[in-house]
Amino acid sequence: MRNPIDDSYVFELYPDIQLTRDNIEHYRALAERRLVINHCSDCGYWIYPHRPLCPECWSWNVRPEEIGGFGAVFMFTLLHQLRDSKNLIHPINVAAVELDEQRGLRYLARVVNCAPQEISHGMRVQLTWIEIDGKEWPAFEPIRTGKG
Amino acid sequence: MARNPLRDRIAVVGVGSTPYGRDLRRSHLSLGLEAAINAIRDASLDKREIDGICGSGMTPLAQGGAGFLSLQGALGIESCTWVLNSWLGSAFVYAAQAVFSGLCDVALVVQTYLREPGMSRAAGGDPFRRALQKFGDIGGDIGGSDFAKRWVHSGEPYAAWMKRYMHNYGTNKDAFAYMALNNRSHGARNPAAVMKEPISLDDYYASRVIWEPMQVFDMDVPVDCGEAQIITTAERARDLPQKPVYIHAMSLGGTRCGEYYENTLGWTENSHWVAQRGLWARSELTLPDIDLFYPYDGYTADAIGVVEAAGYCKPGETGDFFKSNWDPIANVLRLNGRTLVTTHGGGLAQGRAGGANFYSEAVRQLRGTEEYRQVGGAKSALIGIGSFFHDPSAVILRTV
Repeated sequence: MRNPIDDSYVFELYPDIQLTRDNIEHYRALAERRLVINHCSDCGYWIYPHRPLCPECWSWNVRPEEIGGFGAVFMFTLLHQLRDSKNLIHPINVAAVELDEQRGLRYLARVVNCAPQEISHGMRVQLTWIEIDGKEWPAFEPIRTGKG
Repeated sequence: MARNPLRDRIAVVGVGSTPYGRDLRRSHLSLGLEAAINAIRDASLDKREIDGICGSGMTPLAQGGAGFLSLQGALGIESCTWVLNSWLGSAFVYAAQAVFSGLCDVALVVQTYLREPGMSRAAGGDPFRRALQKFGDIGGDIGGSDFAKRWVHSGEPYAAWMKRYMHNYGTNKDAFAYMALNNRSHGARNPAAVMKEPISLDDYYASRVIWEPMQVFDMDVPVDCGEAQIITTAERARDLPQKPVYIHAMSLGGTRCGEYYENTLGWTENSHWVAQRGLWARSELTLPDIDLFYPYDGYTADAIGVVEAAGYCKPGETGDFFKSNWDPIANVLRLNGRTLVTTHGGGLAQGRAGGANFYSEAVRQLRGTEEYRQVGGAKSALIGIGSFFHDPSAVILRTV
Protein backbone atom coordinates (compact mmCIF):
# COMPACT_ATOMS: atom_id res chain seq x y z
CA MET A 1 0.00 0.00 0.00
CA ARG A 2 1.44 3.36 -1.05
CA ASN A 3 1.63 6.00 1.64
CA PRO A 4 0.21 8.59 1.79
CA ILE A 5 -2.90 7.47 -0.05
CA ASP A 6 -3.30 10.56 -2.20
CA ASP A 7 -6.26 11.25 -4.51
CA SER A 8 -4.60 9.79 -7.57
CA TYR A 9 -3.91 6.56 -5.72
CA VAL A 10 -7.57 6.31 -4.61
CA PHE A 11 -8.59 6.67 -8.27
CA GLU A 12 -6.09 3.94 -9.14
CA LEU A 13 -7.44 1.62 -6.42
CA TYR A 14 -11.15 2.04 -7.30
CA PRO A 15 -11.27 2.41 -11.10
CA ASP A 16 -14.95 1.38 -11.39
CA ILE A 17 -16.26 3.63 -8.61
CA GLN A 18 -17.54 7.09 -9.47
CA LEU A 19 -15.33 9.03 -7.07
CA THR A 20 -16.45 12.55 -6.23
CA ARG A 21 -15.25 15.38 -4.00
CA ASP A 22 -17.97 14.22 -1.59
CA ASN A 23 -17.17 10.51 -1.32
CA ILE A 24 -13.40 10.20 -1.84
CA GLU A 25 -12.59 10.26 1.91
CA HIS A 26 -14.83 7.20 2.34
CA TYR A 27 -12.80 5.24 -0.21
CA ARG A 28 -9.46 6.57 1.07
CA ALA A 29 -10.47 5.21 4.49
CA LEU A 30 -11.58 1.86 2.99
CA ALA A 31 -8.09 1.53 1.52
CA GLU A 32 -6.81 1.88 5.10
CA ARG A 33 -9.35 -0.71 6.32
CA ARG A 34 -11.39 1.90 8.15
CA LEU A 35 -15.16 2.41 7.69
CA VAL A 36 -15.96 6.12 7.91
CA ILE A 37 -19.27 7.92 7.52
CA ASN A 38 -19.87 11.67 7.34
CA HIS A 39 -20.73 13.16 10.72
CA CYS A 40 -22.00 16.64 11.49
CA SER A 41 -19.59 18.36 13.86
CA ASP A 42 -22.30 20.82 14.92
CA CYS A 43 -25.37 18.69 15.66
CA GLY A 44 -23.92 15.17 15.67
CA TYR A 45 -26.11 13.76 12.86
CA TRP A 46 -24.62 10.94 10.74
CA ILE A 47 -25.02 11.55 7.00
CA TYR A 48 -25.08 8.64 4.55
CA PRO A 49 -24.60 8.31 1.61
CA HIS A 50 -21.66 10.68 1.48
CA ARG A 51 -23.08 14.18 1.25
CA PRO A 52 -21.43 17.50 2.03
CA LEU A 53 -24.25 19.18 4.00
CA CYS A 54 -25.96 18.13 7.22
CA PRO A 55 -29.65 17.67 6.30
CA GLU A 56 -30.71 18.31 9.89
CA CYS A 57 -28.99 21.63 10.70
CA TRP A 58 -27.57 22.67 7.28
CA SER A 59 -24.07 22.83 8.67
CA TRP A 60 -21.22 22.38 6.17
CA ASN A 61 -19.06 21.33 9.06
CA VAL A 62 -19.27 17.67 8.05
CA ARG A 63 -16.38 15.27 8.66
CA PRO A 64 -15.85 11.61 7.82
CA GLU A 65 -15.50 9.72 11.10
CA GLU A 66 -14.89 6.08 11.91
CA ILE A 67 -17.98 4.26 13.16
CA GLY A 68 -18.05 1.95 16.17
CA GLY A 69 -18.70 -1.08 14.01
CA PHE A 70 -21.74 -2.45 15.85
CA GLY A 71 -25.29 -2.76 14.61
CA ALA A 72 -28.23 -5.04 13.87
CA VAL A 73 -29.57 -6.59 10.67
CA PHE A 74 -32.53 -4.42 9.61
CA MET A 75 -33.42 -6.32 6.44
CA PHE A 76 -31.82 -8.85 4.15
CA THR A 77 -32.35 -11.16 1.20
CA LEU A 78 -30.67 -14.31 -0.03
CA LEU A 79 -29.78 -14.21 -3.72
CA HIS A 80 -30.42 -17.57 -5.36
CA GLN A 81 -30.03 -16.25 -8.89
CA LEU A 82 -28.03 -13.36 -10.25
CA ARG A 83 -28.79 -11.19 -13.25
CA ASP A 84 -26.75 -13.43 -15.54
CA SER A 85 -29.48 -16.05 -14.86
CA LYS A 86 -27.04 -18.65 -13.55
CA ASN A 87 -28.33 -20.42 -10.47
CA LEU A 88 -26.04 -20.11 -7.48
CA ILE A 89 -25.10 -23.25 -5.58
CA HIS A 90 -24.89 -21.30 -2.33
CA PRO A 91 -27.12 -18.25 -2.00
CA ILE A 92 -25.39 -14.89 -1.47
CA ASN A 93 -26.77 -12.79 1.35
CA VAL A 94 -27.19 -9.02 1.18
CA ALA A 95 -27.99 -7.28 4.46
CA ALA A 96 -28.83 -3.70 5.38
CA VAL A 97 -27.17 -3.32 8.76
CA GLU A 98 -28.58 -0.53 10.92
CA LEU A 99 -25.59 0.94 12.73
CA ASP A 100 -25.85 1.68 16.45
CA GLU A 101 -24.88 5.30 15.82
CA GLN A 102 -28.33 6.38 14.55
CA ARG A 103 -31.83 5.10 13.68
CA GLY A 104 -32.11 4.50 9.94
CA LEU A 105 -28.32 4.70 9.38
CA ARG A 106 -27.86 1.55 7.32
CA TYR A 107 -24.82 0.10 5.58
CA LEU A 108 -25.21 -2.57 2.93
CA ALA A 109 -22.85 -5.52 3.31
CA ARG A 110 -22.56 -9.27 3.44
CA VAL A 111 -23.03 -11.14 6.69
CA VAL A 112 -20.14 -13.61 7.03
CA ASN A 113 -19.16 -16.36 9.47
CA CYS A 114 -22.81 -17.33 9.61
CA ALA A 115 -24.97 -19.80 7.65
CA PRO A 116 -27.53 -18.01 5.43
CA GLN A 117 -30.49 -19.57 7.27
CA GLU A 118 -29.16 -18.22 10.59
CA ILE A 119 -29.46 -14.58 9.54
CA SER A 120 -32.46 -12.91 11.17
CA HIS A 121 -34.03 -9.48 11.59
CA GLY A 122 -32.52 -7.68 14.56
CA MET A 123 -29.52 -9.98 14.75
CA ARG A 124 -26.59 -8.20 16.44
CA VAL A 125 -23.54 -7.92 14.21
CA GLN A 126 -20.10 -6.34 14.22
CA LEU A 127 -17.81 -5.02 11.50
CA THR A 128 -15.24 -7.29 9.96
CA TRP A 129 -13.35 -7.23 6.67
CA ILE A 130 -13.37 -9.61 3.74
CA GLU A 131 -11.08 -9.81 0.73
CA ILE A 132 -12.67 -9.56 -2.72
CA ASP A 133 -10.46 -9.41 -5.82
CA GLY A 134 -7.39 -8.45 -3.81
CA LYS A 135 -9.06 -5.60 -1.87
CA GLU A 136 -10.47 -5.45 1.66
CA TRP A 137 -14.18 -4.58 1.98
CA PRO A 138 -16.43 -4.11 5.03
CA ALA A 139 -18.67 -7.01 6.06
CA PHE A 140 -20.49 -7.90 9.25
CA GLU A 141 -20.44 -11.02 11.40
CA PRO A 142 -22.66 -12.16 14.26
CA ILE A 143 -21.53 -11.12 17.72
CA ARG A 144 -20.88 -14.46 19.41
CA THR A 145 -21.12 -14.33 23.16
CA GLY A 146 -19.17 -16.64 25.42
CA LYS A 147 -16.77 -17.59 22.64
CA GLY A 148 -13.23 -18.77 23.58
CA MET B 1 -57.37 19.85 1.65
CA ALA B 2 -54.52 20.78 -0.63
CA ARG B 3 -55.08 22.94 -3.72
CA ASN B 4 -56.22 21.10 -6.84
CA PRO B 5 -56.81 23.72 -9.55
CA LEU B 6 -56.37 21.15 -12.35
CA ARG B 7 -59.36 19.08 -11.14
CA ASP B 8 -60.99 17.52 -14.25
CA ARG B 9 -59.55 20.26 -16.50
CA ILE B 10 -56.99 18.03 -18.26
CA ALA B 11 -57.89 14.90 -20.20
CA VAL B 12 -56.39 11.87 -21.90
CA VAL B 13 -57.56 11.80 -25.52
CA GLY B 14 -55.33 9.18 -27.08
CA VAL B 15 -53.67 5.89 -26.16
CA GLY B 16 -51.39 3.73 -28.27
CA SER B 17 -49.63 0.45 -27.63
CA THR B 18 -47.31 -1.84 -29.55
CA PRO B 19 -47.56 -5.61 -29.45
CA TYR B 20 -45.85 -7.17 -26.41
CA GLY B 21 -43.28 -9.88 -26.97
CA ARG B 22 -40.19 -11.51 -25.55
CA ASP B 23 -38.20 -10.81 -28.71
CA LEU B 24 -39.71 -8.34 -31.18
CA ARG B 25 -36.28 -7.61 -32.78
CA ARG B 26 -36.85 -3.86 -32.56
CA SER B 27 -35.20 -0.82 -30.97
CA HIS B 28 -36.55 1.41 -28.21
CA LEU B 29 -37.05 4.10 -30.82
CA SER B 30 -38.98 1.86 -33.20
CA LEU B 31 -41.33 0.74 -30.42
CA GLY B 32 -41.74 4.31 -29.20
CA LEU B 33 -42.61 5.56 -32.68
CA GLU B 34 -45.25 2.88 -33.21
CA ALA B 35 -46.87 3.59 -29.84
CA ALA B 36 -46.78 7.35 -30.57
CA ILE B 37 -48.35 7.01 -34.01
CA ASN B 38 -51.06 4.74 -32.62
CA ALA B 39 -51.85 7.24 -29.85
CA ILE B 40 -51.90 10.26 -32.19
CA ARG B 41 -54.21 8.44 -34.64
CA ASP B 42 -56.36 7.19 -31.76
CA ALA B 43 -56.85 10.82 -30.73
CA SER B 44 -57.66 11.85 -34.34
CA LEU B 45 -54.98 14.52 -34.16
CA ASP B 46 -52.48 15.75 -36.73
CA LYS B 47 -48.85 15.43 -35.64
CA ARG B 48 -48.46 19.20 -36.06
CA GLU B 49 -50.77 19.64 -33.08
CA ILE B 50 -48.32 17.89 -30.75
CA ASP B 51 -46.38 20.64 -28.97
CA GLY B 52 -45.05 18.73 -25.95
CA ILE B 53 -43.23 15.39 -25.62
CA CYS B 54 -42.31 13.37 -22.56
CA GLY B 55 -39.93 10.67 -23.78
CA SER B 56 -38.65 7.53 -22.20
CA GLY B 57 -35.65 7.10 -19.90
CA MET B 58 -33.37 9.59 -18.22
CA THR B 59 -30.66 10.18 -20.82
CA PRO B 60 -31.71 12.55 -23.63
CA LEU B 61 -28.59 11.74 -25.62
CA ALA B 62 -29.09 7.95 -25.67
CA GLN B 63 -28.86 6.99 -29.35
CA GLY B 64 -31.57 4.63 -30.55
CA GLY B 65 -33.59 5.38 -27.43
CA ALA B 66 -37.10 6.78 -27.19
CA GLY B 67 -36.13 10.08 -25.59
CA PHE B 68 -37.66 13.35 -26.74
CA LEU B 69 -34.63 14.30 -28.86
CA SER B 70 -34.97 11.18 -30.99
CA LEU B 71 -38.77 10.98 -30.97
CA GLN B 72 -39.48 14.51 -32.14
CA GLY B 73 -37.18 14.31 -35.14
CA ALA B 74 -38.19 10.76 -36.00
CA LEU B 75 -41.89 11.67 -35.91
CA GLY B 76 -41.24 14.82 -37.99
CA ILE B 77 -42.74 17.22 -35.47
CA GLU B 78 -41.37 20.68 -36.28
CA SER B 79 -41.53 22.38 -32.89
CA CYS B 80 -42.41 21.69 -29.28
CA THR B 81 -42.63 24.23 -26.47
CA TRP B 82 -42.18 21.55 -23.77
CA VAL B 83 -39.96 18.45 -23.70
CA LEU B 84 -38.74 16.12 -20.97
CA ASN B 85 -37.75 12.51 -20.41
CA SER B 86 -39.02 10.44 -17.53
CA TRP B 87 -40.18 6.97 -16.55
CA LEU B 88 -42.43 4.93 -14.24
CA GLY B 89 -45.42 6.80 -12.81
CA SER B 90 -44.11 10.33 -13.09
CA ALA B 91 -43.92 10.69 -16.90
CA PHE B 92 -47.71 10.94 -17.24
CA VAL B 93 -47.97 13.40 -14.34
CA TYR B 94 -45.27 15.65 -15.80
CA ALA B 95 -47.10 15.78 -19.12
CA ALA B 96 -50.44 16.62 -17.49
CA GLN B 97 -48.73 19.32 -15.45
CA ALA B 98 -47.14 20.78 -18.59
CA VAL B 99 -50.55 21.02 -20.30
CA PHE B 100 -52.15 22.57 -17.24
CA SER B 101 -49.35 25.12 -16.87
CA GLY B 102 -49.75 26.21 -20.50
CA LEU B 103 -46.25 25.22 -21.62
CA CYS B 104 -47.92 23.05 -24.23
CA ASP B 105 -51.47 22.24 -25.36
CA VAL B 106 -51.12 18.66 -26.55
CA ALA B 107 -48.55 16.46 -24.84
CA LEU B 108 -47.37 13.09 -26.10
CA VAL B 109 -46.04 10.63 -23.48
CA VAL B 110 -43.97 7.71 -24.78
CA GLN B 111 -42.55 4.89 -22.67
CA THR B 112 -40.64 1.93 -24.09
CA TYR B 113 -39.11 -1.21 -22.61
CA LEU B 114 -36.71 -3.84 -23.93
CA ARG B 115 -35.88 -7.13 -22.25
CA GLU B 116 -32.39 -6.72 -20.80
CA PRO B 117 -29.59 -9.17 -21.63
CA GLY B 118 -29.36 -10.34 -18.00
CA MET B 119 -32.94 -11.64 -18.07
CA SER B 120 -32.29 -14.93 -19.86
CA ARG B 121 -29.63 -16.78 -21.83
CA ALA B 122 -31.44 -16.00 -25.08
CA ALA B 123 -31.51 -12.29 -24.26
CA GLY B 124 -27.88 -12.45 -23.11
CA GLY B 125 -26.87 -13.95 -26.45
CA ASP B 126 -28.47 -11.10 -28.41
CA PRO B 127 -25.73 -8.65 -29.52
CA PHE B 128 -28.28 -5.82 -29.91
CA ARG B 129 -29.40 -6.17 -26.28
CA ARG B 130 -25.78 -6.33 -25.11
CA ALA B 131 -24.93 -3.19 -27.08
CA LEU B 132 -27.90 -1.40 -25.56
CA GLN B 133 -26.77 -2.32 -22.07
CA LYS B 134 -23.27 -1.10 -22.81
CA PHE B 135 -24.20 2.23 -24.37
CA GLY B 136 -27.73 3.04 -23.25
CA ASP B 137 -27.50 2.81 -19.48
CA ILE B 138 -28.95 5.27 -17.00
CA GLY B 139 -25.52 6.44 -15.85
CA GLY B 140 -23.50 6.17 -12.65
CA ASP B 141 -21.35 3.35 -11.28
CA ILE B 142 -24.16 0.81 -10.94
CA GLY B 143 -22.87 -2.74 -10.67
CA GLY B 144 -19.36 -1.72 -9.62
CA SER B 145 -17.11 -3.43 -7.11
CA ASP B 146 -18.40 -1.65 -3.99
CA PHE B 147 -20.90 -4.04 -2.38
CA ALA B 148 -22.29 -1.15 -0.29
CA LYS B 149 -23.63 0.37 -3.53
CA ARG B 150 -25.35 -2.83 -4.62
CA TRP B 151 -28.83 -1.47 -3.92
CA VAL B 152 -28.38 1.69 -5.99
CA HIS B 153 -31.13 1.22 -8.58
CA SER B 154 -31.67 -2.43 -7.62
CA GLY B 155 -34.67 -4.75 -7.27
CA GLU B 156 -33.10 -6.74 -4.44
CA PRO B 157 -34.32 -4.39 -1.68
CA TYR B 158 -37.91 -5.30 -2.65
CA ALA B 159 -37.12 -8.89 -1.66
CA ALA B 160 -35.64 -7.67 1.62
CA TRP B 161 -38.75 -5.52 2.18
CA MET B 162 -41.04 -8.51 1.53
CA LYS B 163 -39.18 -10.41 4.23
CA ARG B 164 -39.20 -7.45 6.60
CA TYR B 165 -42.96 -6.98 5.95
CA MET B 166 -43.63 -10.61 6.89
CA HIS B 167 -41.46 -10.15 10.00
CA ASN B 168 -43.09 -6.85 11.04
CA TYR B 169 -46.66 -8.05 10.65
CA GLY B 170 -46.25 -11.78 11.29
CA THR B 171 -47.71 -12.78 7.91
CA ASN B 172 -47.01 -15.38 5.27
CA LYS B 173 -46.73 -14.56 1.56
CA ASP B 174 -50.45 -14.80 0.74
CA ALA B 175 -50.82 -11.07 0.07
CA PHE B 176 -48.16 -11.30 -2.63
CA ALA B 177 -49.52 -14.60 -3.93
CA TYR B 178 -53.09 -13.36 -4.41
CA MET B 179 -51.80 -10.27 -6.20
CA ALA B 180 -49.95 -12.53 -8.64
CA LEU B 181 -52.98 -14.80 -9.09
CA ASN B 182 -55.27 -11.84 -9.79
CA ASN B 183 -52.97 -10.35 -12.41
CA ARG B 184 -52.39 -13.67 -14.14
CA SER B 185 -56.17 -14.35 -14.26
CA HIS B 186 -56.77 -10.98 -15.92
CA GLY B 187 -53.80 -11.54 -18.22
CA ALA B 188 -55.36 -14.78 -19.42
CA ARG B 189 -58.29 -12.73 -20.77
CA ASN B 190 -56.09 -10.05 -22.39
CA PRO B 191 -54.94 -10.91 -25.93
CA ALA B 192 -52.04 -8.43 -25.56
CA ALA B 193 -50.62 -10.30 -22.55
CA VAL B 194 -47.42 -12.32 -22.83
CA MET B 195 -48.38 -14.67 -19.97
CA LYS B 196 -51.66 -16.28 -20.99
CA GLU B 197 -51.92 -19.06 -18.40
CA PRO B 198 -53.59 -18.33 -15.07
CA ILE B 199 -51.81 -19.68 -11.97
CA SER B 200 -52.98 -21.30 -8.74
CA LEU B 201 -51.81 -20.68 -5.19
CA ASP B 202 -49.83 -23.93 -5.42
CA ASP B 203 -48.18 -22.76 -8.66
CA TYR B 204 -47.17 -19.53 -6.94
CA TYR B 205 -45.61 -21.20 -3.93
CA ALA B 206 -43.87 -23.80 -6.14
CA SER B 207 -42.31 -21.19 -8.42
CA ARG B 208 -38.56 -20.63 -8.45
CA VAL B 209 -37.08 -18.54 -5.64
CA ILE B 210 -34.95 -15.74 -7.08
CA TRP B 211 -34.14 -13.41 -4.20
CA GLU B 212 -35.48 -15.04 -1.05
CA PRO B 213 -38.35 -14.72 -0.25
CA MET B 214 -39.20 -13.29 -3.69
CA GLN B 215 -40.19 -15.84 -6.31
CA VAL B 216 -40.34 -15.59 -10.08
CA PHE B 217 -44.14 -15.04 -10.00
CA ASP B 218 -43.56 -11.93 -7.85
CA MET B 219 -41.62 -10.29 -10.68
CA ASP B 220 -42.94 -8.56 -13.78
CA VAL B 221 -42.20 -10.23 -17.09
CA PRO B 222 -39.47 -8.54 -19.12
CA VAL B 223 -40.71 -7.85 -22.65
CA ASP B 224 -40.20 -5.59 -25.63
CA CYS B 225 -43.03 -3.03 -25.78
CA GLY B 226 -44.06 0.59 -26.12
CA GLU B 227 -46.94 2.63 -24.72
CA ALA B 228 -48.08 6.19 -25.46
CA GLN B 229 -50.75 8.59 -24.28
CA ILE B 230 -51.95 11.99 -25.51
CA ILE B 231 -52.94 14.57 -22.91
CA THR B 232 -54.65 17.89 -23.60
CA THR B 233 -57.06 20.37 -22.07
CA ALA B 234 -60.64 19.38 -21.23
CA GLU B 235 -61.91 22.04 -23.68
CA ARG B 236 -59.92 20.59 -26.57
CA ALA B 237 -60.84 17.05 -25.49
CA ARG B 238 -64.55 17.77 -25.88
CA ASP B 239 -63.98 18.60 -29.59
CA LEU B 240 -62.27 15.25 -30.27
CA PRO B 241 -64.06 12.00 -31.14
CA GLN B 242 -62.88 9.84 -28.20
CA LYS B 243 -64.73 10.04 -24.94
CA PRO B 244 -62.52 12.27 -22.74
CA VAL B 245 -60.99 10.66 -19.67
CA TYR B 246 -60.37 13.44 -17.17
CA ILE B 247 -57.48 13.70 -14.74
CA HIS B 248 -59.32 14.33 -11.50
CA ALA B 249 -56.33 14.60 -9.17
CA MET B 250 -52.71 13.52 -9.08
CA SER B 251 -49.58 13.56 -6.96
CA LEU B 252 -45.94 12.60 -7.07
CA GLY B 253 -44.03 11.43 -3.99
CA GLY B 254 -40.51 12.32 -2.95
CA THR B 255 -38.85 10.93 0.17
CA ARG B 256 -35.51 11.35 1.95
CA CYS B 257 -34.40 7.86 0.92
CA GLY B 258 -32.10 8.96 -1.89
CA GLU B 259 -30.16 6.71 -4.19
CA TYR B 260 -29.05 4.13 -1.59
CA TYR B 261 -32.25 2.14 -1.22
CA GLU B 262 -31.47 0.61 2.19
CA ASN B 263 -32.15 4.06 3.62
CA THR B 264 -35.98 3.95 3.46
CA LEU B 265 -36.95 4.26 7.06
CA GLY B 266 -40.01 2.04 7.28
CA TRP B 267 -42.57 0.16 5.18
CA THR B 268 -45.09 3.02 5.51
CA GLU B 269 -42.55 5.72 4.70
CA ASN B 270 -41.76 4.91 1.08
CA SER B 271 -42.76 6.98 -1.93
CA HIS B 272 -46.18 5.33 -2.49
CA TRP B 273 -47.39 6.56 0.91
CA VAL B 274 -46.29 10.11 0.12
CA ALA B 275 -47.93 10.02 -3.32
CA GLN B 276 -51.23 8.53 -2.11
CA ARG B 277 -51.45 11.04 0.75
CA GLY B 278 -50.79 13.83 -1.73
CA LEU B 279 -53.50 12.52 -4.04
CA TRP B 280 -56.24 12.10 -1.44
CA ALA B 281 -55.50 15.55 -0.02
CA ARG B 282 -56.48 16.85 -3.47
CA SER B 283 -59.75 15.00 -3.98
CA GLU B 284 -63.19 14.96 -2.39
CA LEU B 285 -63.65 11.39 -3.58
CA THR B 286 -63.17 8.40 -1.27
CA LEU B 287 -62.18 4.79 -1.94
CA PRO B 288 -65.79 3.56 -2.29
CA ASP B 289 -66.12 5.94 -5.29
CA ILE B 290 -63.36 4.07 -7.12
CA ASP B 291 -64.54 1.55 -9.75
CA LEU B 292 -61.15 0.28 -10.96
CA PHE B 293 -57.84 0.02 -9.12
CA TYR B 294 -54.40 -0.16 -10.76
CA PRO B 295 -51.57 -0.79 -8.28
CA TYR B 296 -48.24 -1.10 -10.16
CA ASP B 297 -46.67 -4.55 -9.96
CA GLY B 298 -43.02 -4.28 -10.98
CA TYR B 299 -42.79 -6.60 -7.99
CA THR B 300 -45.83 -7.82 -6.06
CA ALA B 301 -44.36 -5.90 -3.09
CA ASP B 302 -44.97 -2.66 -5.03
CA ALA B 303 -48.65 -3.50 -5.45
CA ILE B 304 -49.11 -4.43 -1.79
CA GLY B 305 -47.50 -1.11 -0.86
CA VAL B 306 -49.95 0.78 -3.10
CA VAL B 307 -52.96 -1.16 -1.71
CA GLU B 308 -52.04 -0.19 1.84
CA ALA B 309 -50.91 3.34 1.00
CA ALA B 310 -54.24 3.94 -0.76
CA GLY B 311 -56.00 2.93 2.45
CA TYR B 312 -57.81 -0.25 1.37
CA CYS B 313 -56.59 -1.88 4.57
CA LYS B 314 -54.12 -1.27 7.37
CA PRO B 315 -50.39 -1.96 6.91
CA GLY B 316 -49.78 -5.69 7.15
CA GLU B 317 -53.42 -6.67 6.57
CA THR B 318 -53.46 -7.07 2.78
CA GLY B 319 -53.28 -10.88 2.94
CA ASP B 320 -56.46 -11.11 4.99
CA PHE B 321 -58.10 -8.30 3.01
CA PHE B 322 -57.40 -10.06 -0.29
CA LYS B 323 -58.68 -13.41 0.96
CA SER B 324 -61.96 -11.87 2.12
CA ASN B 325 -62.31 -9.99 -1.20
CA TRP B 326 -61.48 -12.89 -3.49
CA ASP B 327 -63.87 -14.03 -6.22
CA PRO B 328 -63.18 -17.78 -6.37
CA ILE B 329 -65.16 -18.25 -9.60
CA ALA B 330 -63.19 -15.77 -11.71
CA ASN B 331 -60.06 -16.12 -9.53
CA VAL B 332 -59.73 -12.36 -9.23
CA LEU B 333 -59.89 -9.69 -6.57
CA ARG B 334 -63.16 -7.82 -6.20
CA LEU B 335 -62.43 -5.22 -3.57
CA ASN B 336 -65.37 -4.43 -1.30
CA GLY B 337 -67.46 -6.68 -3.49
CA ARG B 338 -66.97 -4.81 -6.75
CA THR B 339 -63.72 -2.95 -7.54
CA LEU B 340 -61.64 -4.95 -10.02
CA VAL B 341 -57.86 -4.68 -9.85
CA THR B 342 -55.33 -4.48 -12.72
CA THR B 343 -57.80 -5.59 -15.38
CA HIS B 344 -55.12 -6.01 -18.08
CA GLY B 345 -52.87 -8.27 -16.01
CA GLY B 346 -50.22 -5.63 -15.31
CA GLY B 347 -46.52 -6.25 -15.60
CA LEU B 348 -46.88 -9.74 -14.14
CA ALA B 349 -48.99 -10.94 -17.09
CA GLN B 350 -49.19 -8.40 -19.93
CA GLY B 351 -45.52 -7.53 -19.49
CA ARG B 352 -43.13 -4.96 -18.08
CA ALA B 353 -43.91 -1.43 -19.22
CA GLY B 354 -42.89 0.48 -16.09
CA GLY B 355 -46.57 0.99 -15.36
CA ALA B 356 -47.30 2.76 -18.66
CA ASN B 357 -49.77 0.02 -19.61
CA PHE B 358 -51.72 0.73 -16.38
CA TYR B 359 -52.49 4.24 -17.66
CA SER B 360 -53.44 2.95 -21.12
CA GLU B 361 -55.70 0.21 -19.71
CA ALA B 362 -57.44 2.58 -17.28
CA VAL B 363 -58.19 5.00 -20.14
CA ARG B 364 -59.55 2.22 -22.38
CA GLN B 365 -61.78 0.82 -19.62
CA LEU B 366 -63.11 4.28 -18.72
CA ARG B 367 -63.93 4.93 -22.39
CA GLY B 368 -65.90 1.68 -22.34
CA THR B 369 -64.39 0.28 -25.54
CA GLU B 370 -63.06 -3.08 -24.35
CA GLU B 371 -65.88 -5.36 -25.53
CA TYR B 372 -65.70 -8.74 -23.78
CA ARG B 373 -63.02 -7.41 -21.41
CA GLN B 374 -65.06 -4.31 -20.57
CA VAL B 375 -65.90 -3.70 -16.90
CA GLY B 376 -69.50 -2.53 -16.94
CA GLY B 377 -70.20 1.01 -15.71
CA ALA B 378 -66.61 1.88 -14.82
CA LYS B 379 -66.36 5.66 -14.34
CA SER B 380 -63.33 6.14 -12.08
CA ALA B 381 -59.91 4.59 -11.74
CA LEU B 382 -57.25 4.89 -9.05
CA ILE B 383 -53.70 4.39 -10.28
CA GLY B 384 -50.51 4.08 -8.22
CA ILE B 385 -47.30 3.52 -10.18
CA GLY B 386 -43.63 3.71 -9.35
CA SER B 387 -40.70 2.53 -7.33
CA PHE B 388 -40.63 2.58 -3.52
CA PHE B 389 -37.69 4.90 -4.02
CA HIS B 390 -38.29 7.13 -7.04
CA ASP B 391 -40.76 8.31 -9.68
CA PRO B 392 -44.04 7.31 -8.02
CA SER B 393 -47.41 8.66 -9.05
CA ALA B 394 -50.90 8.56 -7.64
CA VAL B 395 -53.63 9.51 -10.12
CA ILE B 396 -57.42 9.38 -10.27
CA LEU B 397 -58.90 9.30 -13.77
CA ARG B 398 -62.63 9.54 -14.41
CA THR B 399 -65.31 10.16 -16.99
CA VAL B 400 -68.42 12.23 -16.50
